[in-house]
Amino acid sequence: MATQRPPANPRPGPEAWSSGSTPDGRAIISFHHVDLEYEDQKALADVTFSIANGEFVCLTGPSGAGKSSILRLVAMDAFPTKGQVIVRGMPATRMNRGRVPQLRREIGFVFQDFRLLEDRSVEQNVAFAQLVVGVPHLQILQNVMRVLTQVGLYDKRHRLPRQLSGGEQQRVAIARAMVNSPKILLADEPTGNLDPVTAQEIIDLLFRVNDSGTCVLFSTHDHEIVKTFGQRVLVVDGGRLLSDERRRVPVDRSASLVDHMYRAPAEAAPTAQRPARREPAHA
Amino acid sequence: MLNRAQVNYLARESLAGFSRRKLTTGVTILIMASALLVLAVLTLVTLNLGTLLETARGGLDLRVYLRDDLPTERLAELRPRLLALPGVQQVQWIDAEAALAEFRQQLGEDEPLLDLLDRNPLPSSYHVTFTPAARTPDAVRAVRDEVTRWDEVSEILFNQDWVDALERWTFRFQMASLVAGLIVFLAAIFVISNTVKLTIASSARIIQVQKLVGATNAFIRTPFLCEGAVQGLLAGILAMGLLAIAGRVLGRSLGGFVFFSPAQLMGFVMFCVTLGLAGSWAAMRKYLTLRSDI
Repeated sequence: MATQRPPANPRPGPEAWSSGSTPDGRAIISFHHVDLEYEDQKALADVTFSIANGEFVCLTGPSGAGKSSILRLVAMDAFPTKGQVIVRGMPATRMNRGRVPQLRREIGFVFQDFRLLEDRSVEQNVAFAQLVVGVPHLQILQNVMRVLTQVGLYDKRHRLPRQLSGGEQQRVAIARAMVNSPKILLADEPTGNLDPVTAQEIIDLLFRVNDSGTCVLFSTHDHEIVKTFGQRVLVVDGGRLLSDERRRVPVDRSASLVDHMYRAPAEAAPTAQRPARREPAHA
Repeated sequence: MLNRAQVNYLARESLAGFSRRKLTTGVTILIMASALLVLAVLTLVTLNLGTLLETARGGLDLRVYLRDDLPTERLAELRPRLLALPGVQQVQWIDAEAALAEFRQQLGEDEPLLDLLDRNPLPSSYHVTFTPAARTPDAVRAVRDEVTRWDEVSEILFNQDWVDALERWTFRFQMASLVAGLIVFLAAIFVISNTVKLTIASSARIIQVQKLVGATNAFIRTPFLCEGAVQGLLAGILAMGLLAIAGRVLGRSLGGFVFFSPAQLMGFVMFCVTLGLAGSWAAMRKYLTLRSDI
């Protein structure tokens, strides 16, 4: 299981991904010369990039580099001090704040600390995302069953989060993020609290989410994950976008993250064959 | 528009707070009830003082004593002149003999003392009463000042000092009530708002998740507002229940005690509901403007 796989969706040409590109019509997320300041502290400076519909992008950089600020801008939890952020065709600077909840319904969130409701079962946690947006009861039951089956937790639907492992909790969080069939999934260090094997499983699950056509923006500061990541990588540091690289040729096709970290290269090679992918999980 | 599942959820969440946070809820209700009780007692005292003042004003009249060296016809001419003065409702003639007879009655056992006098020392007089609107020290004083200038008048009496003092103290009490009421009201809002903030802090995760999945602020706010309103309702019923019991006991022992009407009691309960809503709204408003901490 490598973090590499052939793209399931048509990708735009490399020219669209180059650093400094301007927002274009195919983009689901566009940053155009964006500055962001928090109380006189500059979090982002002149950040420009676009992400196309259905793309899987890794956002990396050290802690405090500006990764979370970028995710916050995409979620319209913060608004640019300068420049423009356009998400799903909605420009942040002209966005009526009352419409932010509507936009959020098209974005799923996954976090390092899972952010599950501890006093509710797995099923209730997932159903909650549908309940608050007004999905009818019967449809909620069907959708919850569907996503819990997809993440392999249907049998554990009555358990509380504390009765699950970290990886299982993160799968619940992914199920919750996906139950509303979002167009964008923002994953903020989703593997940060997980061991490498479980982290690999979560990344694989995110790829399956991406296979369904959902754009995934995945942030991590973990170099090992980035090294084996065969998709587009945005590197930020000090609030600036340092590079925007689309890895058309896999960096380390021979080894999964687990192999990379725990096995000697000679030993890892025979086991590194990626298993045949299942059909897109959220098609 | 909310669907049935959402309405059920909001109703469940609104009531769930009571079982989840028994102590906080209990303390909030007690604080709100105490605040309302203080406000209601202040209002009740002000109301009763007002009634007392009205009663005292009913006795606000003038006794115009006349010179005894004037012919009766001339004294009789004063009656229409007095009636023409602003605010005067009634003018009653009390001649010297009637005044003496009244005085004899008042003296009781000492009445033979009056036999020692060689003549009636009491002058004839007019008893001037005023319309309810004119029963104020200022209006009566204006009439007195006018009448004092008349040649036929020897002396004028009216219970000015008592009414002045009562009016002065009533005004001071009303002002003190207003200030105290305002302080109690603001303190209640502050306490309720902070209690709700504690509640919200304990529900931070659920609010955060709601914001993440696209719940509107109105949807997030609703259970907290309902909780605040129900707390206000319970506090109002508690406070007004206690006050009604106390009012019944006082009503029996104090003659002329004025108590709230059922509609006024209901008004206080509604006020407390509003207080609960306002406290919740104030707390939520600040919280919902904060970032979702994505």
